[in-house]
Amino acid sequence: MGYGLCIVAIACALAAYSSGVDPNNFKTCEQSSFCRRSRKVQSSGSKYALIPGTLNSYTDSLTGDLVNKENHHLFSFKLEALAGSTFRLRIDEKQPLRPRYKVEHALKGQPEAGRIRLHTETDGEIVITSERTKAVLHGDPFYIDFYEHDVLVVSVNSKNWLYFEHLRPKPNEPTEQREGEQEDQDGAVETPKLTDSIDDPGAWEENFKSHHDSKPYGPEAVALDFSFPAAEILFGIPEHADSFVLKSTSRTDPYRLYNLDVFEYIVDSKMALYGSVPVIYGHGAQRTAGVYWQNAAETWVDIQTAETNVVSSLVNFVSGSRKTPPPGAHFISESGIVDAFIMLGPKPIDTFKQYAALTGTHELPQLFSLAYHQSRWNYNDERDVTAVSAKFDEYNIPMDTMWLDIEYTDGKRYFTWDKFKFPQPLAMIKNLTELGRHLVVIIDPHIKRDNGYFFHQDCTEKGYYVKTREGNDYEGWCWPGSASYPDFFNPDVRQYYASQFDLSRFQTVTADVMLWNDMNEPSVFNGPEITAPKDLVHYGNWEHRDVHNLYGHMHLMGTFAGLQQRDPNQRPFILTRAHFAGSQRYAAIWTGDNLADWPHLQHSIKMCLTEAVAGFSFCGADVGGFFGNPDAELLERWYQTGAFLPFFRAHAHIDTKRREPWLYPERTRLVIQNAIRKRYSYLPLWYTAFYELEKTGAPVIRPLLTHYPLDKDAFGIDDQLLVQDRLLVKPVMQQGVSKVDVYFPAIDDKKNGDLWYDADTYERQERVGYVSVPVTEYKIPVWQRGGSILAKKERPRRSAPLMLHDPYTLIICLDRNGRAAGTLFLDDEKSYDYRQGQYVYVSYDFSENQLTTRFIGKRLYESDAWIERIVIAGLERVPSSVGITVNGVKQNLESTRQGGAVVIRKPNVKMDVDFLLILHYA
Amino acid sequence: MHRAISQQLAILAALALSVSWCAADVPRPRGVSLIKAPLYQPRAGDDSWTCLDGSKTIPFVQVNDDYCDCPDGSDEPGTSACAQGQFHCLNKGHESVDIPSSRVQDGVCDCCDGSDESQVVGCANTCAELGAAAAIQRRNQAELHKQGAEKRQEMITRGRQLRADRETRRLELERRIKDQEALKSEKQQIKINAEALESDALEVFKEQQRELDADTVQAEEEPQQMRQEASLSFGVYDINKDGFVEVTELMVDINLDRDRNGVVTVEEAKYFLDERERVDLDAFVTLAWPRIKPLKMLAEGLFQPPHADEQVPKVPVEATTEGVQQSQPQPTEEQIDMEASTDGEADEEGDEDQYDDEEGDVGVGEASPEIEAPAPPVYDPETQRLVEQANEARNALEEVERNIREIEQEVKEIDEQSAKDYGQQEEWAVLDGECYNFEDREYVYTLCPFDRASQKPKNGGAETTLGRWEQWIGEGYKYSKQKYGNGAACWNGPQRSAIINISCALEPRITSVGEPNRCEYYFEFETPAACDSEAQRAESVHDEL
Repeated sequence: MGYGLCIVAIACALAAYSSGVDPNNFKTCEQSSFCRRSRKVQSSGSKYALIPGTLNSYTDSLTGDLVNKENHHLFSFKLEALAGSTFRLRIDEKQPLRPRYKVEHALKGQPEAGRIRLHTETDGEIVITSERTKAVLHGDPFYIDFYEHDVLVVSVNSKNWLYFEHLRPKPNEPTEQREGEQEDQDGAVETPKLTDSIDDPGAWEENFKSHHDSKPYGPEAVALDFSFPAAEILFGIPEHADSFVLKSTSRTDPYRLYNLDVFEYIVDSKMALYGSVPVIYGHGAQRTAGVYWQNAAETWVDIQTAETNVVSSLVNFVSGSRKTPPPGAHFISESGIVDAFIMLGPKPIDTFKQYAALTGTHELPQLFSLAYHQSRWNYNDERDVTAVSAKFDEYNIPMDTMWLDIEYTDGKRYFTWDKFKFPQPLAMIKNLTELGRHLVVIIDPHIKRDNGYFFHQDCTEKGYYVKTREGNDYEGWCWPGSASYPDFFNPDVRQYYASQFDLSRFQTVTADVMLWNDMNEPSVFNGPEITAPKDLVHYGNWEHRDVHNLYGHMHLMGTFAGLQQRDPNQRPFILTRAHFAGSQRYAAIWTGDNLADWPHLQHSIKMCLTEAVAGFSFCGADVGGFFGNPDAELLERWYQTGAFLPFFRAHAHIDTKRREPWLYPERTRLVIQNAIRKRYSYLPLWYTAFYELEKTGAPVIRPLLTHYPLDKDAFGIDDQLLVQDRLLVKPVMQQGVSKVDVYFPAIDDKKNGDLWYDADTYERQERVGYVSVPVTEYKIPVWQRGGSILAKKERPRRSAPLMLHDPYTLIICLDRNGRAAGTLFLDDEKSYDYRQGQYVYVSYDFSENQLTTRFIGKRLYESDAWIERIVIAGLERVPSSVGITVNGVKQNLESTRQGGAVVIRKPNVKMDVDFLLILHYA
Repeated sequence: MHRAISQQLAILAALALSVSWCAADVPRPRGVSLIKAPLYQPRAGDDSWTCLDGSKTIPFVQVNDDYCDCPDGSDEPGTSACAQGQFHCLNKGHESVDIPSSRVQDGVCDCCDGSDESQVVGCANTCAELGAAAAIQRRNQAELHKQGAEKRQEMITRGRQLRADRETRRLELERRIKDQEALKSEKQQIKINAEALESDALEVFKEQQRELDADTVQAEEEPQQMRQEASLSFGVYDINKDGFVEVTELMVDINLDRDRNGVVTVEEAKYFLDERERVDLDAFVTLAWPRIKPLKMLAEGLFQPPHADEQVPKVPVEATTEGVQQSQPQPTEEQIDMEASTDGEADEEGDEDQYDDEEGDVGVGEASPEIEAPAPPVYDPETQRLVEQANEARNALEEVERNIREIEQEVKEIDEQSAKDYGQQEEWAVLDGECYNFEDREYVYTLCPFDRASQKPKNGGAETTLGRWEQWIGEGYKYSKQKYGNGAACWNGPQRSAIINISCALEPRITSVGEPNRCEYYFEFETPAACDSEAQRAESVHDEL
């Protein structure tokens, strides 16, 4: 009998696994008290007004008081101008019962202040200007319009959806309603009472499934609406497995931002995932603007946007004017304050840079981390690691990094090794580093509650764990079994944790071993929604509710500090799953536990494009898919796609079949080899792009609209990407196709486009719009933009560091005027010396048949590398002779036509040397 | 060419020259093997040179100038310029090898003579040591194989002997089957005769019994009851509802398989019909039913619950000695199951016990003692003698048939064994029947070659089959790997399987067990059977290529 039940249980479990995520494990807006409370405002509106006479103006800001006209509660606001066409609006209670949480550590530093000029106060309007931008405040009802060069781009609270629940004492008489019975509150017809009580049954305590949230501080939600009058589409607010363009939520739940460990997540979904980056952009042909909603509590975002269907677009086309209200976003957070940054563009790239100026960028990564990573849960033992590494050499496939998932540890005790499987980690590491390779090991934030484990002992003794409401160490369940979670919000805890990476403590690794921080949402197997309860208590007496989305971020800060302290002159590499605004300063991300199917492959680009414009250029997806077994074709196409995303790692679940390239048929192995080699050949471009990301904030990969903002047909394209403005990539992401439709964007609204050159053949593409392109199994459809110059390294090596001294090939693709320009950055690929000028940063310029160099910055790095070849695509004829002048010495070079390009043989000039190359036509 | 020329290039050029003229007898560009040296000669007159694939002619000075001119990469044998090129390490004192050009000048010493890197890297020349070590290794390997080959020879001898023994034995068994078959027909005849006599005697005896019974007081009810149940049975047996029960209709009731050989023969069926082809209801009631009933009861007894007084009637006909529950409706099997499970809910443990008991009974295939056939009737001495004779005849036949089955089973086993591939010289045969263990931290692994591989947790717990013998799967040399498949299924995963990689050693043993793929095991197994000097030679030739 019991046995039979057991079988049934297993069968059910199996069925649940095979069908992917169970959405019932996660809340809907309706199941979340603050979301349903705040969302109600969308039908009733709210009444906030500026209190006349409370305004104060300063050189960079304006302050004043607001009143909620219904309950007369007072708020204070501050509107600041920041450098770079950005405003910051903060609203807090004037005299809160207790302090409300304000996000720390997300911004890269104190934002640079701008200057304002206060203009007339007429008709209750206050106008302030700052450079090209203008903010117009309206007193009653309170709302602010932001203009960029006199075009209205963002309106704040124009819908009157501002909703700010002030802190209040708990009512003496607890409500009669039993918590959990979600009775109909007939809220729609509810008349506002004289008191401002909140009647929602979840206001003071809340249940979800078997979990109870004690909510000791009661209702404290904040919500605000933003409209984008100059925009046609909205995008941003990762992380969701959804299209690049945000969809209307009028008939669905809002997009949710709440870091969660979602098992087998589904695509085309607004469900929350591992990361939360509350930045949104509105884009139209003329203007782009953004809003960064700085709040680390659970947040839901309602999107108002025209339903894109044939009828509405036809109506718009015929009428030529907007029939629908402008796109808007309603941010709803459970606690904290209103802290919104309004970024006014005007172009997409400007807006992305404005966001980067606030939250920072990934610093220049070590080159190896941009190369190919080989991972699996798990490489079983030392022999396995060494054998896999050797196989890559046997089959001549470049590979830079081997990864160890949780099984390398002694019983999931981080900073330890399984002594049986990994008796001599240092010898194993040496086997890798001798070939320029690296090792990455995982260290997760859940700490095994084992009294014999030093880390647990220390955290217990020193009180370093996150606490329950009662003040005890919180115990959850994760990989090690019973586990507790260090409170990384406490600087002492971060320093303690960081110090564990010191090689004198963690003696079984070397400074070449880098880090992977997983499960840091945090994942708690037995917690509400697989994460930590909201009424846990953190450093500073803040509730987990206030800081949830920052937990992973604080974990990363600890890891980053640990690696920097371990070896101050080596740039850390960290991969994280959870992330918040600003986490990009510390780590690369991947899109978590995806599935080995074609839709997840397609979503790897959609998701990484959204992450890239939200600061996370260093993004990738598990190549091959984490769950399941990809067939040969899917694996081939996934490698080809992964080769053109910034973070390129193959990874797989422990229950999947092994899938190293040589375990597939020879053709697959060769296709994969080809894709990986192609990635390595473009490493100089990726490296330069990351340097420029650090310098300017411009994303490494970009949606088409970044450089083709006028082309409305390009706005929604999310199966193609740009690498900077140099490459257009459309990986094959459909099964069994012999051609793909590629969209070549227009530079204006008259269907004029750039020239594009096939990266393999230099065949020129001049059309705008969709072009059907034939593909073979080997083909990765990639074009270089006419007008760009980039550098490649075309000698395959076992690993990227072994390419350091290898010569470069310059690829020059000419525009319609016979011009092109592009940059190259090089340094030692490893240390921070580039910050002292130890680099070569060169801009190449080609026009009038001449190639010239211009060095930017200090040029102190001495490289052995040289230019072995220059390829020029777009020349009408082969020049009769090519001359190069270096240091006043002139020499002739050989040139030949190869495919659609002219190849100039062996200029043989070092990278830090000026030269002039001239094509002669007799 | 001024300071723009890379330092490395200069070194490289210098190296190329020095190698060309100093390192070996035949002048040739760096990275070219002695064999290929003649291919790298400038054409007389114009000092040009043609790529080895003939696709292009270039000035000879462009050979090894660190720029790839030839599509086949042949112009850069000594640099890394061509992606698909090869570099020849001469490795004097050790084995020469070709390495991919991608390993030239990358700062890693790949050739033991260091020739793939510039002097800046400072590769030590380790060829002499490696060569010596390799020679020792080869000698040891050869010695091992030599000694192993002796042992292997013994195994071959024994394996061949085993095969010969099997063949001899098989012939012997075939002969015995023939003998037994003859014996069987003999015994069958004896049985038929004895049973005929028995049958007649019993008929007479029963006739007498009937007369006697008619006199008894209580006899009124019983025949009526008997008749009722007999009629019911008649209805069941009379499948075609023609008013007769025929031989064929009885043959479907396996309960009537008196000799328990799995089929109800015509003879057996006829016995119950009083040696007739068919009987009508009356004849069935008087002649057939008395013979059928004891067997039915016996059969039903198999499924009786242990407590006779609580038993649920389960079959269409029920007439035990205390059979008064006749009027109860006859539950179907499903109903019985349902009742059993209802019981289970009321008293789970008790039910489990009961269930276990039942299982045990079914497995053993014996009737519960209480239901053992009712006390046999007491015959007159002559009838008794005939019945005993018939029993003896039946037993004798049964014994012969059992003998035949046993012999056939042995033949089958021999044939299965003979079908196994024990190698070209039967050298693996002696491993069949042996088992080898290997312990790691958690498990004891067992390999029984040609049978199965398994795993048993050291801290207790059941043994798990990792796979059953399938075949040899060595690539190149077939007898270097074995595959065991169809093991116990993994939770949420495939069926387990194991691959055995086999190498030569003087004593048989498992040296390691791993699970490189979930549920796919990999054993390293050593045995002298693998010490095949020819195979080794083939392999080492392969290595040199």
